[in-house]
Amino acid sequence: MSAEMSGGDPLLRVTSLVKDFPGLRALDDVSLEVRSGEVVAVLGHNGSGKSTLVKVLAGRYAADGGTVELPASAGEEAAELHFIHQDLALVGALTAVENLNLIGSARLHPHDSRAERRRATELVSRFGEAFDVTVPVASLTPGQRAIVAIARALDGWTHPRNVLVLDEPTESLHGAEVEVLFSAVRRLAADGAGVMFISHRLDEVLALADRVVVLRDGRVVAAEPVDGLDHDRLVELITGVTPAEIEAHQPQDVRSTDPVLSVRGLRGGAIENLDLDLHAGEVVGVAGVLGSGREAVPSLLFGAVPSHAGSFTVGGAVVLAPTPATSIRRKVAFVPGDRARHGSTAQMSARENLTLPQMRTVRGAGGAISTRRERAEAERRLAAYDVRPHRTEQRFGLFSGGNQQKIVLARWLRDDPLVLLLDEPTQGVDIGAKTTIYEAVGQAAANGTAVLVSSSDTKELLRICDRVLVLRDGRLVAELAGEALTEHRLLVEGYGLTPDNPEIQTNQGPS
Amino acid sequence: MNLRALSFRNISAVYIFVVMFVVFSIWIPDRFLQVGVWRSILDAEALTGLAALAALIPLVTGSLNLAIGAQVGFTAILSGWLLAKAGLPIAVQLPLVLVVGALIGWVTAVVITRLRVEPIVATLAMSSILLAGMAWVSGSQQILDLGPSYRTLATTQWAGVTVPVYILFAVALVSWYVLERTPVGRRMYASGFNPDSARLAGVGVTRIQTGALMAGGAISALAGALLTSRLNAGDPTVGPSFLLPALTAVFLGSTQFRGGRFNVWGTLVAMYVLAVGIKGLQLGGSPRWVNDLFYGVALILAVALSQWESRGRMLWRGRRRSGEPEEPAEAEPKVTTPAGHS
Repeated sequence: MSAEMSGGDPLLRVTSLVKDFPGLRALDDVSLEVRSGEVVAVLGHNGSGKSTLVKVLAGRYAADGGTVELPASAGEEAAELHFIHQDLALVGALTAVENLNLIGSARLHPHDSRAERRRATELVSRFGEAFDVTVPVASLTPGQRAIVAIARALDGWTHPRNVLVLDEPTESLHGAEVEVLFSAVRRLAADGAGVMFISHRLDEVLALADRVVVLRDGRVVAAEPVDGLDHDRLVELITGVTPAEIEAHQPQDVRSTDPVLSVRGLRGGAIENLDLDLHAGEVVGVAGVLGSGREAVPSLLFGAVPSHAGSFTVGGAVVLAPTPATSIRRKVAFVPGDRARHGSTAQMSARENLTLPQMRTVRGAGGAISTRRERAEAERRLAAYDVRPHRTEQRFGLFSGGNQQKIVLARWLRDDPLVLLLDEPTQGVDIGAKTTIYEAVGQAAANGTAVLVSSSDTKELLRICDRVLVLRDGRLVAELAGEALTEHRLLVEGYGLTPDNPEIQTNQGPS
Repeated sequence: MNLRALSFRNISAVYIFVVMFVVFSIWIPDRFLQVGVWRSILDAEALTGLAALAALIPLVTGSLNLAIGAQVGFTAILSGWLLAKAGLPIAVQLPLVLVVGALIGWVTAVVITRLRVEPIVATLAMSSILLAGMAWVSGSQQILDLGPSYRTLATTQWAGVTVPVYILFAVALVSWYVLERTPVGRRMYASGFNPDSARLAGVGVTRIQTGALMAGGAISALAGALLTSRLNAGDPTVGPSFLLPALTAVFLGSTQFRGGRFNVWGTLVAMYVLAVGIKGLQLGGSPRWVNDLFYGVALILAVALSQWESRGRMLWRGRRRSGEPEEPAEAEPKVTTPAGHS
């Protein structure tokens, strides 16, 4: 599969690309090439700059430095860039035929439906077995949908030597479907196209790519042929052997005390069956790759989504069917991962967001809100969490991501909760705010709050957690603490790369 | 009060009022500058004001109510029917009408929150059902012979001002207090802006929305009862015409005082400013159809103004935060309310 890897001409050349965000350099001198006939995998952790790179290539962000070229070799037209994003951007209610004709079909004259159908069948059958192109794509299998998306991306290519960027295209695919997609991609490359493949699934990368480019903290740390690479080496490249970067965390062993929150047989969402104990004063992490059910745990415990449990107690009291309101009364706090949609009200002020879950303590005479008291409290909290600008009356939506998250955290830590549930607490947050947030979480634990953090950021888990539960396919597969809690182990357990279990190694889907 | 509070953006209706006042005072001073004219505006608009508050309260929680006119109309007919046909005393009839009004709100709430029908569709359907009910109860005839005392309800004057005006300001005062000064009001706004996040903050969004629709229903029933009293008849044709002025006032009101938020005083100020404009045009000799034209244009301008305001904000934020590595933090644009967009 890597036959032409060195022979092809470059179709896409990225040189010294730089992209800055406030307080963060997301891309730092990134250079890479995609040549005709090769599949280049771009690997990296969340926050490594992968998605920023794709967005710069797609024109959604303007680069702060460097160039992106599509060099034309002699006698050839310049390559074009085509993208297939994770969600495939198909219209589910329309048929494959209609989806294929969405672009550039603003003409009003009647279309020749038979010819269109024939052409659509032709297009999709280039990638394997033909399927019914006249049913809504929502009723196709995920693999067939991916084919439709690829066919559409390829439709209108005047020559085969273009660059296709696949941005985590296998998230929704099962093993066999991944194979369908991959053979389509290989065929394209064999015809002379260049493919850039963004993924965090290492097995897929090893199976498909000719060359691997690894990003870490916005820099290219490796660009090597896939031959000679294995899982362990990839994990090492992705994480870097940088124990010094991680601040020493003194783990607390508080498990001798009674748990504050205890649940047996928790089910719901992607979680199949989970037992969990949280003790006062400890910070417990939940890790796992996408689809592991990692992100469902805090919302299930809070009652944001319906859950079932064999037994569930908080602070010694039995919990039946938790809802947000009852959880808050039990002093359980939840910071959702999607701040804009679930965690805040953008149109309300920082002050109003801060006090929404609990206005008892800011009431004055007659049950009315005492504006004076409320403002004083908001002033104090914003100062304590170093929210900038320090304006209690500013609309929440006008704060930066990091400061928004500080306000959300301040909101939930107001009442010294028994349990604090966090989902991706530092997503879209700059380094400075991250530190404040970590300190606040540490402080909460020191005050006796039991903290649960679900995060895709392994560095974060290592930095703040006393122990980490690793989930895979909705089940607990490992609990790491002390010496065993390393970035390497987190990845190995999360991906299921245990050397003595080769079966899991070759399993490509989350199945 | 700082300068920003006096900016055109914040109190445009007040500036528009001043301009209109000056124009009409110069154009038709002998007709426009009469105490009687102003009293009649105050009185005539009191019921529109109640209808506007009845629309405002559910709208704060995210339910645009297109049935307000029909609700006023139905309860007006019901008021007449209970007095003239059922022969009930006022002391029983009036509470009963208010209860029925609240009940209509409850049914609407069930359709919206349990059956998950979009508010705009649910209330449009409710409106049609209520119009049918109106025709059925009244036989599409005026209901007369309400007895001598009922009329005094809407026509009695204290200090030269009729009772409905006092009622309007009493209801407005209570609504303002609840919406802006109590935790319940805070939760109402939170439910309207972002129901998902409100729920996760422990707000009983369904309960809040149901309560708001019921309160709105009771207030529109109050307007209906007063309407029948003022007309001294149950008239099946008048109610629906309250919808447009009421909604126009609410939307224009949202651009006043509270930076894009639906609010009580903005609504009332907007309503009276619009009323003064219409009165002036009428006194200047404009034909009656100018009313509808005026409200239509004002409604578009009101909503456009609130949109423009939020877009201006977004551009401003875009400039400051274009570099953020995440999507804009504002909630996704929501259905039909300017507050949802702002």
